[in-house]
Amino acid sequence: MTTAMHGSKVEATDDTGAPPQDTANVAQAGRPAASARRRRPRRELPQFGSQVLLMLLTLAFLAPVAWAVVSAFKPAVEIIRDPLGFDPTRFTTDNFVAMFSDVPLASGFVNTAIVLVLKGAITMFFAPLAGYAFAKYDFPGKNMLFGTVLLTLMLPTIVLIIPLLLEMKEFGWVNTYQALILPGSVDAFAIFWMRQVISAVPDELLDAARVDGCGEFGIFWRIVVPVIRPGLAGLAVLTVMNIYNDFVWPVVVTTSDTMQTLQVVLSTLAQNISGNTIGADYATITGELLAASSVALVPLLIIFILLQKHFINGILAGSVKG
Amino acid sequence: MTASTALDTRMPPPRAPRRRRLTRTALRRRLAPYVFILPFIAIFALFSVYPMIFTLRLSFTDWRGTGAATWVGLDNYAYLLTNPGFWSSLGNSAVMWLLIVPAQVVIGLLAAVLLNNAKLRMRGFYRTAFIVPFVTPLVAIAQIWIVVFDQNYGPVNDLLGVLGLPGIGWLTTSEWAKPTLALLFLWKTTGFAIIILLSGLQSIDSTLYEAAELDGASRRRQLWSITVPLVRRTLMFLVVLQTLAVFQMFAEPYVVTKGGPYSSTTTAGLYLYNHITRADLGTGAANSFLLVILVMALSLLFVRLLRAKD
Repeated sequence: MTTAMHGSKVEATDDTGAPPQDTANVAQAGRPAASARRRRPRRELPQFGSQVLLMLLTLAFLAPVAWAVVSAFKPAVEIIRDPLGFDPTRFTTDNFVAMFSDVPLASGFVNTAIVLVLKGAITMFFAPLAGYAFAKYDFPGKNMLFGTVLLTLMLPTIVLIIPLLLEMKEFGWVNTYQALILPGSVDAFAIFWMRQVISAVPDELLDAARVDGCGEFGIFWRIVVPVIRPGLAGLAVLTVMNIYNDFVWPVVVTTSDTMQTLQVVLSTLAQNISGNTIGADYATITGELLAASSVALVPLLIIFILLQKHFINGILAGSVKG
Repeated sequence: MTASTALDTRMPPPRAPRRRRLTRTALRRRLAPYVFILPFIAIFALFSVYPMIFTLRLSFTDWRGTGAATWVGLDNYAYLLTNPGFWSSLGNSAVMWLLIVPAQVVIGLLAAVLLNNAKLRMRGFYRTAFIVPFVTPLVAIAQIWIVVFDQNYGPVNDLLGVLGLPGIGWLTTSEWAKPTLALLFLWKTTGFAIIILLSGLQSIDSTLYEAAELDGASRRRQLWSITVPLVRRTLMFLVVLQTLAVFQMFAEPYVVTKGGPYSSTTTAGLYLYNHITRADLGTGAANSFLLVILVMALSLLFVRLLRAKD
């Protein structure tokens, strides 16, 4: 009885990989189940049950995006009349054409690309360098400085926006690339994370290089960087993601259409739509919105799918181990 | 520290010319960290520390963005602490936390345990699929959420209709808006949580499971007696990270619901932002520091709770 009862959910699905045997288990319970379990190695996790659960989760994670991208190709009227309908023969690019004529999406892409390259380069060089100093050197004030880094992690970033904006006005940087690039280019999280990753590099490796006459920067560049490559790849993807997706600061600091990044363009479109300044009906608006959202998320998805192995291994390398 | 002693013991008693080289490398070594953190310090001081101090000073003043600021001492703090709007924003965030974090820990741990099985087929596919929501731009997802959960034309209510159920005002009623928004957050960040937890699981020594197996421990027993205790530090890291994120949550309600209906989705982060849009900058600054104190206290609490049994 107890054997049949315990772990009913997990272990009932456990054996469904072999259907006939499984029905026997469920029907008779007790001893046959126990012996069947003994025959197969217990270490093997419930393959079929796992697959079902993971598939359901996958469906939940992918459905909204998939629905949006598919719907963007449907005639606008049908998106709202029959949201779940699916008829590939009636697919059209009308929503995209209308959206591109209404919003400056192309210049948004260019601006995002510029900011991405420059800001990304700054982050990818200086964050590991500072993380290295925090992880492998002792110097006065180190702990206080790192404490300040952690404190800024806890501070809601929106409150820094007012003083930052005043600072930008002071510098005459409003509506410039500097303003989009420099603030947050070496942010607290990147430092925190790089310190974490570099701490795991054995000191013996660095000392050996030192004994061989390697300079301090040489140690960083030739020993640390190659060793932490997975962590760096993780940081790279996170950085690209953060820069690409950031929209609060760019909204505040850009004042002209020509400086707007992609997300600003997108959020402006969304606002125009909710205020209905485009002067179109709900269906057309929904179509354009879904088209714009699809266009905005596709580049990042492509980057991510190409780099996903590095990204996931990077997070695996960087996060706190049990 | 350990590095320097290791170096000292390795060095033989030096001859005269080598001693000079050694001191020079020692000097370089002492200066190196300063050089390495200098660019970071410059950017950090200019664009993080200075605005932070500015905000702290601002929190003791009444300032509307122009003209001179008047010093009001602790008035802004007193105003907030006696203001029901402030407390209800914290309450909204607390409810969001309850809707998000426990569910995320359970789903995350379950999925991570399943993915940690090396024999599992399509592991790579699942890991990629789970992280997709995490990399999608929030603005795009927020728009999708608005359309998907639309009361009249959205596919979710359409699906409910197919099942013969009445439609729900997901984003238009105060009882459903919070869960719908929490679902957005959960949807967007759980993939990241899974990967973080997976990294914790992968560092567990597999011989522990083999030993438990030999002792006849059930799989569920193994989960509670080996996996959960050993993954506790990773869990703590995740819970602290998500607590920070939930209490600072701003963009999601800002884009999707604008804090409504009836302020039901005015989270602590959005409430704070509303002071800024009203140009009540002193109060906004005070609000942010109250939030920091709260979040720090919560973080310490979780660190304590999850470390307690060690």
